Amino acid sequence: MAGARATRALVVDDERMNREVIVANLRASGYETVTAEDGQQAWEILDRLPDDFDVILLDRRMPRMDGMELLGRLKADERLRHIPVIMQTAYASSDDVVDGIKAGVYYYLQKPLDRMLLLSVVASAVDAHGRFRRLSDDLQKRLSALSLLDSGTFRFRTLDEGNRLAAALARVCPRSQFLAVGLAEMFTNAVEHGNLGITYEEKARLIVEKRLAQEVEARQDAPANRDKVVTVLFERLPGAARFTVRDEGKGFDWRRYMELDTARAFAAHGRGIAMARRLSFDSLEYRDPGNEVTCVVRGEVLSPRGRSAEGDGADRPVAGPAPVRRSTMDEDLKIARTMQAELMPPAALLERVRDSLGARVSGYFETSSDLGGDIWGLEPLDDHRFCLWLADFSGHGVTSAMNTFRLHTLLQNVAERDRPAAFLAAVNARLAGLLPVGQFATMLYGVVDVAARSFVYSGAAAPHPLVVEAGSLRTVIGDGSGLPLGITKAARYVERRLDLAPGAVLFMASDALAESPAEDGDVLGHDGAVELVRKGVAAHRAKADIDALLAPFLATVRRPLRDDLTAICCVVP
Amino acid sequence: MRYEISDEPGGPTLVLRDQLTFADRDPFDGVIDKLLARRARRVAIDLTQLDYMDSAGLGMLLTLRDRAERADTEVVLRNPRSEVRELLVLACFDTLFAFEEG
Repeated sequence: MAGARATRALVVDDERMNREVIVANLRASGYETVTAEDGQQAWEILDRLPDDFDVILLDRRMPRMDGMELLGRLKADERLRHIPVIMQTAYASSDDVVDGIKAGVYYYLQKPLDRMLLLSVVASAVDAHGRFRRLSDDLQKRLSALSLLDSGTFRFRTLDEGNRLAAALARVCPRSQFLAVGLAEMFTNAVEHGNLGITYEEKARLIVEKRLAQEVEARQDAPANRDKVVTVLFERLPGAARFTVRDEGKGFDWRRYMELDTARAFAAHGRGIAMARRLSFDSLEYRDPGNEVTCVVRGEVLSPRGRSAEGDGADRPVAGPAPVRRSTMDEDLKIARTMQAELMPPAALLERVRDSLGARVSGYFETSSDLGGDIWGLEPLDDHRFCLWLADFSGHGVTSAMNTFRLHTLLQNVAERDRPAAFLAAVNARLAGLLPVGQFATMLYGVVDVAARSFVYSGAAAPHPLVVEAGSLRTVIGDGSGLPLGITKAARYVERRLDLAPGAVLFMASDALAESPAEDGDVLGHDGAVELVRKGVAAHRAKADIDALLAPFLATVRRPLRDDLTAICCVVP
Repeated sequence: MRYEISDEPGGPTLVLRDQLTFADRDPFDGVIDKLLARRARRVAIDLTQLDYMDSAGLGMLLTLRDRAERADTEVVLRNPRSEVRELLVLACFDTLFAFEEG
């Protein structure tokens, strides 16, 4: 978020409906919005208030001044060229997309808009822009010297110095979005695990005990470590940059940490190397015994001459500078948030279920301030059945988001998809060995059968599902009870059934719906949540969808949310 | 969370008041230390005055159960009320803990 004021988006579209949809979604996520009906009007607003916007959502085809023309003007204007532009269009040929990217758009979205994608792209654009604004002055000073560097050796001792060096070095490769994070991660490892000899197990314990910073400081001051440094060799290669990081430690078993494996995805830390490898570097190689690592990033590397060609690359999300450790955490959160949002079912899948099975499924997912562990999904089983699930990992932060990521993978490998109780038992058995004590997931998993008119489901401590008949408004509350997943291997689950009359609305939500306080401090509670759905169905009948049902709640809930909110509405034919 | 540990004839009792939520994780760890330091065969957690618990609260009870098991101590949950009872029932905690009323 940029500065003290609220984050503000300029929404430019000639169709009122489109503007309203985007504005509604952005406002629900806490953004302020200003709208313009065409490029000309947008230009007048931007020209008058060049510092007021953090992101621009731009329709490509518009009367008077179209999106491409406005984009050209923005990029030619020193005051405006750094504002990320997300372009959308109904008919994007790949040539169009390439043109847009070349002209400097941050991201290209195709209409009809996928809400989750829209929000995750906007969030990522705003973040990139915020960092750019905060640090551009400072970075420009460092860049001027570093861009002249062909190769060089750097030495540092503390985490803080390492983070600052990572931020500075990341700027030589503007295309690598996560390079600063990756370098900071490598530098942190070199200090903590290398020079200071903190093992991975110790670090996990220190994190849990909240004593990591204290311990790092203490070891740094110990006579044996006081003179240890990390050496970084930077080399500019044709079309690439190479970083060689060497510490003075004994090395470690690096092979264990190269991939995001299931066991470690649930641990308190230890994902850094794999994440850095996946996101930041084109290659990453340790040399035995493990105290030297070489990372290569390909792509255009800013060179003394290359800087004049900045128009092509400099407005893209530049490497996120990480001046302090905190920023690395923010980056982790950001990456995890985007990954989590991408796990939710795409609009095309919902359309497929609607077209082939006649069931209209809509979902809502809003992440909490510090990231929760929600995930929902569905999958067609045959010509009259599909499975539907909603899971919620206990806890907050990157760990629970990463848990949802692993669960997503795990779910795809569990058979028995049409037998809810067996399915939950299988998921439970896999999670039980992986989750630390005190962590678990709640889940509701069921099969909607449009021929048998039933929802057969099992619960693992999930909020009760409910069915409201669109005509009579008769409401039946199901039972989501069951042992949470991951506590004990031997857990067994019960199958239950809800009848689905024609036009019935099946609803399920994570506990954030009942438990999130409104602006005035009140919470809905379980009864209030049932009442909300009933009223929504009464007002919208068979046209009900999740946005309509949740609207009164979303209008008053206090933001940012304390916990992830997920809700699903399924209207059967 | 507010709490109090009283040493009753049947063993130490931890009385929890107000709420048990995500924010209480760290203090609750300390409470477990104190409770298990008594090396009793059985400890009771009195929930009569606990008004609200979230899913993190369930996690804390599980941590308590795990640590108690390793110390050979049985944990009994006493008198959960309204919403707290609903949550414990939802999570089938009766299969993990002994419950008692009164």
